[in-house]
Amino acid sequence: MLKYILLRGLLALAVAFTVSLAAFFLLNIATDPAQAIAGEDATQEVVQTIRARYGLDQPLPVRYGQWLVGVLQGDFGESYYWHKPVAELVAERAGVTITLALAALSVTILIAIPLGALAALNPNTWLDRMALGVAVSAQAVPNFWLGLIMIILFAVMVPIFPVSGDDTWRHFVLPAFVLGASSVPAVMRLTRTGLIEVMSADYIRTARSKGFRGGALLRRHALRNALLPVISVLAVQLGQKFGGSVITESIFAINGLGRLALESILGADIPTVQMLIFVFAIVFVAMNLLADILNAALDPRIRIS
Amino acid sequence: MKHMTTRVLAPAFLAATLFAAPAMADKADDTMRVAMAEEILNLDYNYTTKREYIILAQMTDTTLFDLDPRTQEYKPAVATGYAFVDDKTLDITLRDDVKFHDGSVLSAEDVAYTYNWIIREDSESNASGTIGRWLDNAEVTGPNTVRFHLKSVYPLVLRDMAQRIMLRKAGTYDEGGTVDRDAMAQELIGTGPYKVKSFEPGQELVLERFDDYFGEAPAIQTIVVRNLPDIGTQQAELMSGGIDWMFKVPLDLAESLGATPMASHLSGPDLRVAFVVLDAAGYTDADGPLTKVKVRQAINHALNKADMAKFLIGGSAEPIHTACHPAQFGCDQSVQDYPYDPEAAKALLAEAGYPDGFELELWAYRDKAVAEAVSADLSAVGIKVNLRYVKLESLNQARASQDIPAYIGTWGSGGTADTAAIARIHFSMDTDRNLSGDQALADEVLAAEQTNDQDERAEIYSSALSTIADQAYWAPLFTYSANYLVSPELEFPLDPDGLPRLQNASWK
Repeated sequence: MLKYILLRGLLALAVAFTVSLAAFFLLNIATDPAQAIAGEDATQEVVQTIRARYGLDQPLPVRYGQWLVGVLQGDFGESYYWHKPVAELVAERAGVTITLALAALSVTILIAIPLGALAALNPNTWLDRMALGVAVSAQAVPNFWLGLIMIILFAVMVPIFPVSGDDTWRHFVLPAFVLGASSVPAVMRLTRTGLIEVMSADYIRTARSKGFRGGALLRRHALRNALLPVISVLAVQLGQKFGGSVITESIFAINGLGRLALESILGADIPTVQMLIFVFAIVFVAMNLLADILNAALDPRIRIS
Repeated sequence: MKHMTTRVLAPAFLAATLFAAPAMADKADDTMRVAMAEEILNLDYNYTTKREYIILAQMTDTTLFDLDPRTQEYKPAVATGYAFVDDKTLDITLRDDVKFHDGSVLSAEDVAYTYNWIIREDSESNASGTIGRWLDNAEVTGPNTVRFHLKSVYPLVLRDMAQRIMLRKAGTYDEGGTVDRDAMAQELIGTGPYKVKSFEPGQELVLERFDDYFGEAPAIQTIVVRNLPDIGTQQAELMSGGIDWMFKVPLDLAESLGATPMASHLSGPDLRVAFVVLDAAGYTDADGPLTKVKVRQAINHALNKADMAKFLIGGSAEPIHTACHPAQFGCDQSVQDYPYDPEAAKALLAEAGYPDGFELELWAYRDKAVAEAVSADLSAVGIKVNLRYVKLESLNQARASQDIPAYIGTWGSGGTADTAAIARIHFSMDTDRNLSGDQALADEVLAAEQTNDQDERAEIYSSALSTIADQAYWAPLFTYSANYLVSPELEFPLDPDGLPRLQNASWK
């Protein structure tokens, strides 16, 4: 198990470095950070001053090499815009994104599992179809569209939540719903499939013969087993929430890692983008690893090696 | 994404207006909340360049002179007056009642320090290039007098003093010999009508009226600047009363929401102009069609710039025929105009030896609809356009490599109503924006910056602009307009130079 975790950790680092290498060269080919910092109407003099100030006049391999050496020493560089170490910047913003990601995951659970159970208990009925329809719609609707619709409905027409910001728990309700909605179909369908399979198992028949019915049967016997694969999927979904927060955080003006990523990409703030890619890749791989470990821990038939 | 989301949702926003209560401005607590999409990270305009920072600097800082946007005259601000001792020596007298936000009084030493710091090599200020071009050094000559020694004759000294250099206390950037270029980035001590109350970079800036400001006190007590990256979110905030002012609003959205009781749409002029730059010098093809003046004139005739201004930009946008904004000093409107005439364009192409047109690679980086309209107009006279719609950085790189036959450019002149602000950067020989290759024109443009005689300058620009028009180095398109959405409770005056001055806002 330990060896497996170490191997996956190394894999995570390899993924992060590969992605960062690609991102570094692509960003530098597609944009000119000095021009982005200087603005549209900046003179060449100003652009040149900025280019020299940030060492952007060095060849790309040299700059990537410098970045890599810094990273190996624990120094991810300094943001072109914020003038502070990007590690500090990311640490400051991480809390907000973690809060949003966990809130979004809670939304997913609260919607998807009851919906999946409803569909499983009424297979191939209009209830099943409706649940499927709701889930598929949630996945099909783009984040930015759903976000603005939620703002119009619940912040403008019926102003019960704030439009934007991240000061209080009320600021997280709408973005958590928007971010959580996209994971509903996967979790809902897995819950439905798992429950349908479990409901025909022998031990459920035994439980029924003991007099268990309805909610009690579902809670005490069926869900426990049906949700095993769901738990590992939720871990993966949590990782995706970090990357998926880019649009949601921008629409709701939440100062988390997602918005930082978007602003950094648009502004060609390469050191910040590099570190964010690194963080997102590590989180994603870590969540996948967590899913594997959870699977093994919850189901003794699974062994990881 | 910003525009796409708002366009997709415009009908939904309008539907919402039927149900929502009118937006409540914060007149009650005398706080104006404004939205900016650009993240505000540095409050020191001596180290920034973008428009948002100019808007903020006008509130937090003062300069030696002020530009009157209506008369285009430079009026005393921190300076009470000036006198040229000779062509290269300028004496400035200062007020004695200017206070910094920390309560200390501004001195001649502070002024001299600020200017001398900016031109120091290790200052790395974004203003160094502009000021270093003409300033040799600033010298304190009395308790309230500073002498500026110029490297050469430079007629735009007052402009640069009015617009580029924000005054700092002596020692601000190198206290104790330690250079700190970010000294004023977050904890700004300026001399403007508003002082910084709190600042969370990238999130929120709170400005409070500075009671010891030497000039006319602004009407509104507190201004809160919120960073809201998505324009759809800004609209929702405006509708729900979360903000009172937003700018850079797409025309269709401004008109839609402005027609409701929830917001007022204001449209004012903007010094930004759009134009097509043509490779007359033949950098991309030494004997190509664009090296022929008749082809370039044909392109000018082919473009329906009036329709582009009216339907694609709207508001106060106007077609132009000069390589400058009509509101700028020296922008002579009597130069050759090429009215929209596709038949004349075809005839000129035939005369130039291209009766069936030719293939043209046209680059553009913003306003895709305009780029497509230009392409369509050129196609209509037989020029087969290959439109390269790219990011600004890519266009700049290609232009630096002299690899662009034609591009649609725009220029805002940094809000400066003087032809110098657009002519030099586009027609001097040391800029890659100059695709004319015309040395005589370049000399003329520079000559206009070598004299303090305004009549002479106007004459020189008139001649230069005539050359540009006659040779059709550019195909000028139109001026832009600036669209704002504001709370119905807010009185927000618009100035002819298009620069939003939040300090002039008041409640109705």
